[in-house]
Amino acid sequence: MPEQTVRIRPSRRQAFLRSLRELGRVLISDRYAFTGALVYVAFIVVAALAGVLAPHDPTEILFTPDGMLAGDLPPSAEHPLGTTSLGRDIYSQLLYGTRSALLVGLVAAFFVVAIGTLVGLVAGYMGGIVDTILMRITDIAFGIPFLPFVIVLSAFLEPSIWNVVLAMSLILWRDTGRVIRSQVLTVKHRAFIEAARVSGSSTARILFVHIAPNVLPISLLYGSIAVGWAILTEASISFLGFGATDQISWGYMLQDAYLSQALSRGAWHWFVPPGLAIVVIVVAGFFISRGYEDILFPKLKD
Amino acid sequence: MLLETNDLTIGYRTASGALRAVEGVNLAIPEGEIVGLVGESGCGKTTLARSLIGVMAGNANIERGEIRFQGRDLVSSGARYWKDRRWRDIAYIPQSAMNSLDPVYRVGDQLLEVLIRRGGMDRAKAKRRAEELFELVGIEANRLRDFPHEFSGGMRQRAAIALALALDPTLVIADEPVTALDVIVQRQILDTLDDLQKRLGISVLLVTHDISVVAYVCDRVAVMYAGKLVEEGPVDTVLGSPVHPYSMGLMNAFPDLGRASRTLVPIEGAPPDLHDPPAGCRFAPRCPFVVDACSEPPEIEAVDETHRAACWRMGEAEALRKDASEVTTWQT
Amino acid sequence: MPLATTFASSRGAPIYSYVRFDPEATEFMRTARRIASRFAQMVFVLWAVATILFLVFRLMPGNPLVAYIDPTFTEEQQQELLQRFGLDRPLHEQYVIYLGNLLRGDLGDSFFYRDSVTSLLWDVFPNTLALTMVALIIAYVIGVLLGALLAWLRTSRFEGIAIPLVLLSRAAPEFWLGMILLAIFSFQLGWFPAGGAFTAGSEAAVGPGRFFSLDFLRHLFLPALTLAIYLHGLPLLLMRSNMLETLKEDFVTMARMKGLSTWSVLVRHAARNALLPVLTAFALGIGYSIGGNVVVETVFSWPGIGRLLVRAVSASDYPLAQGAFLMIAAVMVFMNFVADLLYNVLDPRVNQDA
Repeated sequence: MPEQTVRIRPSRRQAFLRSLRELGRVLISDRYAFTGALVYVAFIVVAALAGVLAPHDPTEILFTPDGMLAGDLPPSAEHPLGTTSLGRDIYSQLLYGTRSALLVGLVAAFFVVAIGTLVGLVAGYMGGIVDTILMRITDIAFGIPFLPFVIVLSAFLEPSIWNVVLAMSLILWRDTGRVIRSQVLTVKHRAFIEAARVSGSSTARILFVHIAPNVLPISLLYGSIAVGWAILTEASISFLGFGATDQISWGYMLQDAYLSQALSRGAWHWFVPPGLAIVVIVVAGFFISRGYEDILFPKLKD
Repeated sequence: MLLETNDLTIGYRTASGALRAVEGVNLAIPEGEIVGLVGESGCGKTTLARSLIGVMAGNANIERGEIRFQGRDLVSSGARYWKDRRWRDIAYIPQSAMNSLDPVYRVGDQLLEVLIRRGGMDRAKAKRRAEELFELVGIEANRLRDFPHEFSGGMRQRAAIALALALDPTLVIADEPVTALDVIVQRQILDTLDDLQKRLGISVLLVTHDISVVAYVCDRVAVMYAGKLVEEGPVDTVLGSPVHPYSMGLMNAFPDLGRASRTLVPIEGAPPDLHDPPAGCRFAPRCPFVVDACSEPPEIEAVDETHRAACWRMGEAEALRKDASEVTTWQT
Repeated sequence: MPLATTFASSRGAPIYSYVRFDPEATEFMRTARRIASRFAQMVFVLWAVATILFLVFRLMPGNPLVAYIDPTFTEEQQQELLQRFGLDRPLHEQYVIYLGNLLRGDLGDSFFYRDSVTSLLWDVFPNTLALTMVALIIAYVIGVLLGALLAWLRTSRFEGIAIPLVLLSRAAPEFWLGMILLAIFSFQLGWFPAGGAFTAGSEAAVGPGRFFSLDFLRHLFLPALTLAIYLHGLPLLLMRSNMLETLKEDFVTMARMKGLSTWSVLVRHAARNALLPVLTAFALGIGYSIGGNVVVETVFSWPGIGRLLVRAVSASDYPLAQGAFLMIAAVMVFMNFVADLLYNVLDPRVNQDA
């Protein structure tokens, strides 16, 4: 069979795609990451099919056959998790809640990681005055208390799930930025980068082909945790009363339960499930992040 | 004999299975001598050294054998006894003094800790002794107040020696004490060690992979290969007239400024995987003088009163030495 | 582990690496210089945050005066406020007046309470401080002890239970934990009150001694427990991770070889080294918690700064909201600085790399 010529010098795109594929493989090979990814897929499926899976519209106020408000009903076949004080089906709310959770989670995580990675790469690689300015900006981001900031923003903006996304995009990239900068600084001085530079590789090429693979696992690690941050933040904001009123989110359900005295009435079926849902999806994020952590810090077996 | 091991065998449990890092070793350390323990990395010398002081890695354990110190077997004397005698009878100078001092305490305080808590001294007496010890190893007393990171590499090694001598041990085990230092400092430390040994009359077990260190300062040398002791004797004899082919190979592989331009001849191949060692002589796969008899493991036997080795062809040593000095012998 | 965030390793670029190299400088001078530069950094961040806040409140849609003047104020009050904050002057002058007022501690008057924002904040700050400190101390003491224990024992059975539990504690929304605790211990069992820091109208609620009264402690228990459950994960994982690393260090092996007692080896040497990053994390934790306690304060109706902020924003009480936010930010930035100080002072090695 004729020998195929092997391209020794991969294009930027090829190298980049290859490192992405490596990272994707983690989701399959690592036990924890795989479990986490499965859970995410399950939630995405539920979110997509909420309309089909949910027996009722989550905002619809329901009435019993004899015209009474179907409020505060305990769990039954008709309402697996009972109803709210206002007569809404809790189970349906729970299912529909996956939508805003995933939306906020994934979008916010994307921006947090994208901005953080960019800042880290540029600051770390360019150094000098660019680095100083970016690091001062990062210091300021660290100086702003996150949850209070979201609350203050809510004073001025219309209640919407995008407030959380905006606030996170403005501030929470800070951890990722610092850590990635740190990593770039470490990698920058290694011999193979010097070799690449001496042999005339462009800055962009060095960044994409050499530095990115060392840095992307960190991005994905923070990304998978950031989804959890976003969902927790959104839940907190909704609970405080600043969340979107048009969409039913888990945080909204918890606020509703709290304000309707569900605690004193022991309506566990109302206020436990939304919290559990949050716990499950956040833990799934932790599991996925563990997969990337193992690439970065492989545990030595002794 | 100050210390002797009988059939000492030490095993490790690793993720890839069990292995024996030290197998049936009978090491003898006489009083008042510096004994070198030499071999390539992975031959078990550090494992052996650490077993003598009784502090080994978590997954290592002594499977069988004795460690007789002044006649008493430490292995069967129980953990409590051994812990009590530790540092008092046998002390240890670690491989890299860099990290063997606690970075958050002053060096002097770490010395005092041993003197007070283990030596039973009161603070005043301990302070005087600490200053004495520093003087002994050649560090100014005022440096006792410094933190480890303020010491240079050579100074840290000296401090480690001072620590080791704190409780007047009879045996000091020095594990690669000069490997991490530059050549000039190496000489100084080795000179200090030699001087101290003579002055205090202690015994030293010097573990190293560097023959030149052995040649410089040791009285006797023991050669280890793949967990077994292959040759042991006075340093001039073993280095000058080695009996075991491995020892012969070692001599060839080290530079010797005394002789005019000589090609360095490495021993080809690598030591066996101790998860599954060869049934016969462990050096056989790499030995240029291998014969059929080598499929049986050789026992250590005396060459003369002070010199022992484990090789079936001991008797032909002189002829083999001549062949061993030829470069072609070692090339396959 | 990222869950045990790498605080120390990514502290950002040294601000004054341009300080000229002085071979005569003693270690004290180097430390002093480093502390001074961190202090300058703190002042810079505080200034930047105050400025951002100024711009946010000025740039919002609608009448900028609304940030300071409630339409229900009388004409005189409005005039007085106009003067005090220079609201009829151009923006940059307002900014200067704003900064001046800040430095003097004048944060305006609350619309809702008709009282100076500063005094309102100082009234409730001790409550938040008490809650945060108690919760953090419990969380850190338990976290450190358990973390060290886990590292020492290293049995996978124990770890197999403990670590998932810790993960769960960090994944659960704090307010949800609080709700569950409230439902069980307050409503079902009636052991603890359902909210607030003091029983309304009780005499114990006055004077500095009130924080030690049984009434206060009974009210403090559930919110502090909620926070402690949430917060203990970080010190636990951090301590465990540090201990595991430290126990592998050569100086720990040396300590064992010297024949020192197990206590000496584990506590005086290993734990002492492993603890340093945890102390830094504790200082940082105070800063983060002050702001993050908002939700727990709301669940338990705890009269602290967080709850004040929420109420202020809900009621569009802008001066109070701004003031509360500033106070939270100031505490956080200050604690970041303290954490830096601790890190510098406690680890003798740090002074080496001036």
